[in-house]
Formats: sequence, structure tokens, C-alpha cells
Amino acid sequence: MSEQQAYEPKIVAFLCKWCSSAGSDLAGVSRIQYPANATPITVPCSGSVSPMYILSAFKKGADGVLVSGCHIGDCHYMEGNFLARRKLHLVKELLGFIGVEENRFRMSWVSAAEGGKYAQVVKDFVEDLRPLGPQEKLKAQRT
Amino acid sequence: MINIQDIRDTAKDLLAKGEVRGVIGWKAGTRGMDAEPVVITAPEQADELVWDPTCYHNLALYLVEDRKFLAHARKNADKPIGIVAKGCDARAIVVLMQENYFKREDVYIIGVSCENTGVVAEHKLARQLSGFAASAAAFAGDEFSFTTAKGEKKVPAREVMADRCLECRNPFPKEHNATLGEDKTGRTLAAPFAALAKFEAQGGGERWDFWERQFDRCIRCFACRSVCPMCYCDECVVDSIEMKVLPDTTAEEKANRIRWIERSADRSENITYHMTRAMHLAGRCVDCGECERVCPVNIPLRLLNNKMEREARERFGYEPGASIGGPSLVASFRDDDPGDFIR
Repeated sequence: MSEQQAYEPKIVAFLCKWCSSAGSDLAGVSRIQYPANATPITVPCSGSVSPMYILSAFKKGADGVLVSGCHIGDCHYMEGNFLARRKLHLVKELLGFIGVEENRFRMSWVSAAEGGKYAQVVKDFVEDLRPLGPQEKLKAQRT
Repeated sequence: MINIQDIRDTAKDLLAKGEVRGVIGWKAGTRGMDAEPVVITAPEQADELVWDPTCYHNLALYLVEDRKFLAHARKNADKPIGIVAKGCDARAIVVLMQENYFKREDVYIIGVSCENTGVVAEHKLARQLSGFAASAAAFAGDEFSFTTAKGEKKVPAREVMADRCLECRNPFPKEHNATLGEDKTGRTLAAPFAALAKFEAQGGGERWDFWERQFDRCIRCFACRSVCPMCYCDECVVDSIEMKVLPDTTAEEKANRIRWIERSADRSENITYHMTRAMHLAGRCVDCGECERVCPVNIPLRLLNNKMEREARERFGYEPGASIGGPSLVASFRDDDPGDFIR
């Protein structure tokens, strides 16, 4: 990236297949305008998101990681998002503990009908990431 | 206080009656005062066993090794194996049983209570002995007694104990077949998570500077992984040993195999390795502190594991090593788990 170009945060978004992925789709087909910074990756369930995915995304240069799943109680697999909530709470705490800015990792519940909410989540995330600048702490020094 | 002869007699008795096929314990080591782990298989070897403030090792590790050895030899154990276990060792054994690594009847736990003491921290002791190396160490009530070239020296245990022991609340093995020593569960020699609280009082920037320095030093010797009884995976996520390289495996296939973490000792890889390890130990780490003790570059690994332990305790009411039948931390949930960080 040249000096003149403005910094654009790169977001890796892990979206659950049943809700958030469909929600992002709805945002698209409803023609809701939202920043194009998020790269969506569809996963079967938010509960399937391993801490390794998140660390790996940061290692490969993501400025922020978003994990989004169904609302509590709506999980297609009954309890996947309950497990995600507990597990990813630990990941969030650990990232903060070693001194990675808290705003770099975010979780949200977005249902298939909430296109507008997905757009808002991404919009807010981008706004929060912008002042933090590029993520260099966890990025691989050698690739 | 525990009479060392009681441990030896218990082990001798078990072996003589043929109730166990061996006893894992500590014997006098060859490096100064330090004890070393030993497996005895005959009653007459029982007199080798020792119990002193240098019995640092978490012996649960050797139950894991034993299990792996049996699996490799495709053998079934006909009898349980005996193990001398401190409070932390016993908690580790409980976690292993909770994960069905072996069954309760596969192991005979001879519990030893640390009472009001624990194990020695070498760096603290060095300051007390003014340069003289100790050749032997022994419990003496609330003191430790060390034999040095200048004769015997008694030091209050509290001053030379390892931090992990000072912060330990459960110095008594709750799960046991036989126990020696007094039950001092709930003792408080130092505030639990004292070091963690002090560290967390700093801002995010200072915390990062600290960890950056620590992780830059890591040489990836994997001593922390080797010494941990919970790190029993046959294939660690760090090294993909299971990739079958056949004559027709293309260079592309080899290059494209999934590598979550590289083995090179770069900071980014080191951070990913240690963070992954902390996550894998969340709700499983019993804070035996062995990883920190064996680290050749003195990375304070206990901080990471303590952080996870405290989160589990405060947010989810979970205590590792508390019960064999209970669910594990990340495989269970409650309806009222904190979710206020989720949008």
C-alpha cells in the first residue's frame, strides 16, 4: 500500500451458515450500503470457530476479526452458539490480556432477517478499527 | 508432617501384595538436592522413595506416558499403577480421568499433603544460601532445612517457596486411595492470583511491551509442552507429523498442508503457539506451574494459564480438577454465561 492511499481496515468475518451468512446476503440483496472491508467466511456454526481460526486470521494480517452467529436459542445445532459464547469470551480475554486492542475482536448475533443489523455491525467495526491503525502485533513477520 | 517411611511402607505394602504393578514417585536425584521421578516395580525398591521440598514434578505426566506406552505395545494393564501425588498432581489426575484418558480403577493414588508448605523455588533459595549450593532439602514443620557445605540451614518455607505453592489453596489431594499428612485445604499463604492481579493492573500498552519481550525470547524448545500432563495429544497442532509423504505426493501437496503455526521461533509464531496452548489448557490447567519452572528462558507462562483459570472461576464458576464426573469448561455452558460483549 502506498503512502497516499488511506488505510482501510481488513476484517475477516466468520459467519454462521444458518443466520449471519444469510443476514449478510440479505444486506446485499436489500442493497444496504455498508463498507466493503469485511471478507466473509461461511462456517457451519459459530460454535465451530476454533480459536486457531481467529489467531490465524490475525497472523495473516487481519486488522479485525468478527465472529457472528445465530441469536441465543436459535442455533440450528441447538447449543453451538452457547459454546461459542463461552469459548470466544476466553479468546477475547486472552487477546486483551497480552495487550492486543480490545476492539480488534468482535462477536455479534445476526439472524437471517437482520440484513440491516449486519450492515450496522460492519459499519461500527470499521469505524472502531480505523483509529487503531494496521494490526502489526500478531501479524507474521515472515510469510 | 509426613514421615517419609510411611510413604515407603505404603508403596512396599502395595507392591508386596501385588495390588499395583508399579509405583510412580520421587527418588533422590543426581543433581544436587533435586529429587527426580522414578517408577518402582519391586517392594525392595520402595526405600528409594523420597518426599522433600524438591519434589517439583507433576507425576501425572508419567501416568500419561504409561498410558501411551501401553497403547503402543497394544497391552492392557492387568493391575492399577500406584502414584504418589501432591494436591496439584491429584487435580491433574482428576482432569485426565474427567477426559476419560484412563479410569479411576486404573490408578491407585497415594496422596501426600503439602500441609503449610510446598516446593522450593530455586531462584528464591539462591538468595538465602548466599552462594552455597544445597545438597539436600527436607521439610521441618513450617520451615525447610537445607544441607550445605556450611552445615545445616533452616529457612522459613514461605520465603523460598515457589509462587505457585504460595498461591495454592488446595495443597491436599482430594481424590485419593490413601493419604498421608494433614488436610490443609483452603489455606491462604498468599492471595490467589496475586501475580496476575499485579500484572493486570498495568495498561494494555505495557502489557503488550512485556509479552513482546517474553515471546521474542522463546526458543520453541517445547519444554512447556513436554512437561505438561495435559498436553497429551499424539499430534500437536504445532507439528503436522501425520502428513503421509508417499512417492506420488506432489511438492504442491506438501507445501499446501495446513500449518496453523510454523515451527520457526518468530515472535508471531511464538505468540500463536503460547496463546493456543493457553486456550487448550483453559479449564484443564491445574496450576502445577511446571511449564514455568522448566522454561529455559524464564517466560512467566503461569500468568497466561492463571488468567484463563481466573476467567473460568469468576465468569463460569468452573474449577479445574474438582470432579471426575463433571463436564469440561468449554464443552458445557450455562444460560446465564456473560454475553454482554456480543453485539
